[in-house]
Amino acid sequence: MIRIKTYKPLRPGGKKRKRLALVFLLFLLTTQFLNVYGVQRFPKPEFESGYFQPETLQPAGRAEMLAIMDVFFLVLSLAIVTWLVLKKRSRTGVFWMSLASLAYFGFYRQGCVCSIGAIQNMTLALFDKSYVLPLSAIAFFILPLIVTLFFGRTFCAGVCPFGAMQDLVSFNPQKAGPKLNTVLGLIPYIYLGLAVLYAATGTDFIICRYDPFVGIFRFNASFGMFIFAGALLISGIFIARPYCRFLCPYGVLLNWVSRFSWKHLTITPAQCIQCRLCEDSCPYDAIDMPVTGKNPEIRTATLRKMILICLLIPFFTVLGGWTGSQLHETLAGVNGKVRLSRALLQPAQTTGQPESIEITAFKSSGKPVSQLYAETSLLLKKFYTGGWVLGCFLGLVFGITLAYRMVTTYKTDYTPNKGACFSCARCVDFCPVTLNNNTPKLT
Amino acid sequence: MKNKIMLIGALTLLLTVVLFMAWDMFFNKPAEKANPYAYDLKSFKAGDTALNLYTEVEHFSPKMTVLHGIAVDQTDRIYLCGDDDVEIFDHTGKPEGGFAIHGMAGCIQVDPSGRIYLGIRDHVEIFDHSGRQLDTWKSIGDESVITSIAFSGKDVFVADAGSKVVLRVDPSGNILKKIGEKDPSRNIPGFIVPSPYFDLAASRNGELWVVNPGRHRFEKYNPEGDLLSTWGVSSMAMEGFCGCCNPTDFAMLSDDSFVTSEKAIERIKVYWPNGVFRGVVAGPDAFVEGTRGLDLAIDSKDRILVLDPEKKQIRIFALKTIK
Repeated sequence: MIRIKTYKPLRPGGKKRKRLALVFLLFLLTTQFLNVYGVQRFPKPEFESGYFQPETLQPAGRAEMLAIMDVFFLVLSLAIVTWLVLKKRSRTGVFWMSLASLAYFGFYRQGCVCSIGAIQNMTLALFDKSYVLPLSAIAFFILPLIVTLFFGRTFCAGVCPFGAMQDLVSFNPQKAGPKLNTVLGLIPYIYLGLAVLYAATGTDFIICRYDPFVGIFRFNASFGMFIFAGALLISGIFIARPYCRFLCPYGVLLNWVSRFSWKHLTITPAQCIQCRLCEDSCPYDAIDMPVTGKNPEIRTATLRKMILICLLIPFFTVLGGWTGSQLHETLAGVNGKVRLSRALLQPAQTTGQPESIEITAFKSSGKPVSQLYAETSLLLKKFYTGGWVLGCFLGLVFGITLAYRMVTTYKTDYTPNKGACFSCARCVDFCPVTLNNNTPKLT
Repeated sequence: MKNKIMLIGALTLLLTVVLFMAWDMFFNKPAEKANPYAYDLKSFKAGDTALNLYTEVEHFSPKMTVLHGIAVDQTDRIYLCGDDDVEIFDHTGKPEGGFAIHGMAGCIQVDPSGRIYLGIRDHVEIFDHSGRQLDTWKSIGDESVITSIAFSGKDVFVADAGSKVVLRVDPSGNILKKIGEKDPSRNIPGFIVPSPYFDLAASRNGELWVVNPGRHRFEKYNPEGDLLSTWGVSSMAMEGFCGCCNPTDFAMLSDDSFVTSEKAIERIKVYWPNGVFRGVVAGPDAFVEGTRGLDLAIDSKDRILVLDPEKKQIRIFALKTIK
């Protein structure tokens, strides 16, 4: 038997949560200005004899015990959030859990190693045998994917500190619409492709370089990164979780895996009664509306579409690969060695600029220029291959996305889109259906 | 409608973020930029010329190649110390004599009776105008570096940069009091002297003023070593002092205004007796970059005599006349 409860127009505790979030954010912003008061002291004091300038020391790595503790907390958080989402169906629980994760993985752990950045560690370990991959990095990369494969993106819901940070500012989320979601949704694929390319070639960890929130977590954001994070958070007021939806490269992997999840969050615990109350509940546009298919397409038109898709996907893949290979020099420009070689090939008098710190450092290292050029040449070859792979990947994604837009999937109920849904359980609060002992469970 | 505008604004902001990342990754070329860690004080050296109250009226060059200290006696005779020598000039810069000494004098001062006091590393030697040695005080200590001498009544005050303390001594060189040693019970923070620049002077009414260079301030003490007052502010602005240790030297005008000189940002400024910024005597553009140890002296007409060790000149500055 299905019981219908009274409809609650607002999420329980919504206003209180918003106020709490606002206070927290104000505190956070205030602390960002502390390092402004640093006073520059110059020149170095002329110390008397007997004083030695201390050697610069590298900070020690995180203790093994603490790394194990991090993994333990990751497993524990994933378990609790999954239980809250699937068993308790509690948005409030998920919210508090996300705050706890923000405190631990964000501010205490200072956002590193995070699952998003671990993509690069994994990639570098695959391509560079000398790179020692920390076990915690493997755990942070693999565990959320495994949990997602079984239970959907519960990691995004309440464990990822990035998501929690953005959820706090999501005061007035607006729907972007399916077309915009599709177009902007391609950005994470580009970001993922570039991150893998640059990690594989040992160029840079660009996900870490453009990590918007790490400066906030560490209370040492540079002015540029502070503006960067601020812009994301401001846009996050009106577009819920902009980083997660339109930038996060790890989200791409979670999206793929989540599509095959064994037991994903459902909006209704029993049978959907088509009340449409949940229709506008998802700030991430991750609810698939029912498509009943009253006017099925004509067979010949469907066939034509299928042929077109079969042709378009390989076409875009090859076109993307070729374009990527042609752009390999531009892509390689991000690499420090390539940039240094180019700067050395360009005499200082033609640029009119003073000699850069990189050139000065290179000259003082005593390394022959010919060796640098040989290494650069090898790198360019890698980028040529990498450009092909990256281009093919992006072309394939573009082709599949286009094909997906052309195909109509028939559904009878309101269901979360398994790939895009963050399992945040917001929609659950809007469903008037409750489960009693006689109600058949959804499978 | 309002929500739509908000959404468009947010999307624009988001796209700006993405475009910024793309630009920074592919088009921002840090390799072509100058060293961002270079020691460059250009931006701090730019000053407002309207603040310049003084003008350089004359200068002259002594024979010495290494200049350390300058002093003016009550008849405006100018005394210089440096290269194992003392040189004496009249108020126009015309040589009047000099004499050789043993060791490099770091500072020079002339008492009201015309006796010349020279701080030679750890001890003081006293000469008359003809170069006859009148007295030699015993060493203050192995670590001592005497950087300044001043007179107030019968007392002689000696600044010791090595021990970071001011000594009040009698005319025979016996130490009567150590002034400025760290003593929280008397609210004395102690002198911070990271470089061998540690100056002091007595005002016309006998007050002892000492620079605490590491704290960027002046401290006034009575002969018993009580801290009476302080002024000075750490700031990159023209009104303040900055760097590891500034000001390096100072002198006092007849109205007890302070004339200060600094290193790193080479400049000479003048402050009212209460420490309020008054104006600039000479800005960084008047000195060779890297100049340090701009010792100062004031003559009876309140002209400021600057010992410029880089240009190897004595430069005389006078107040600009108001037309």
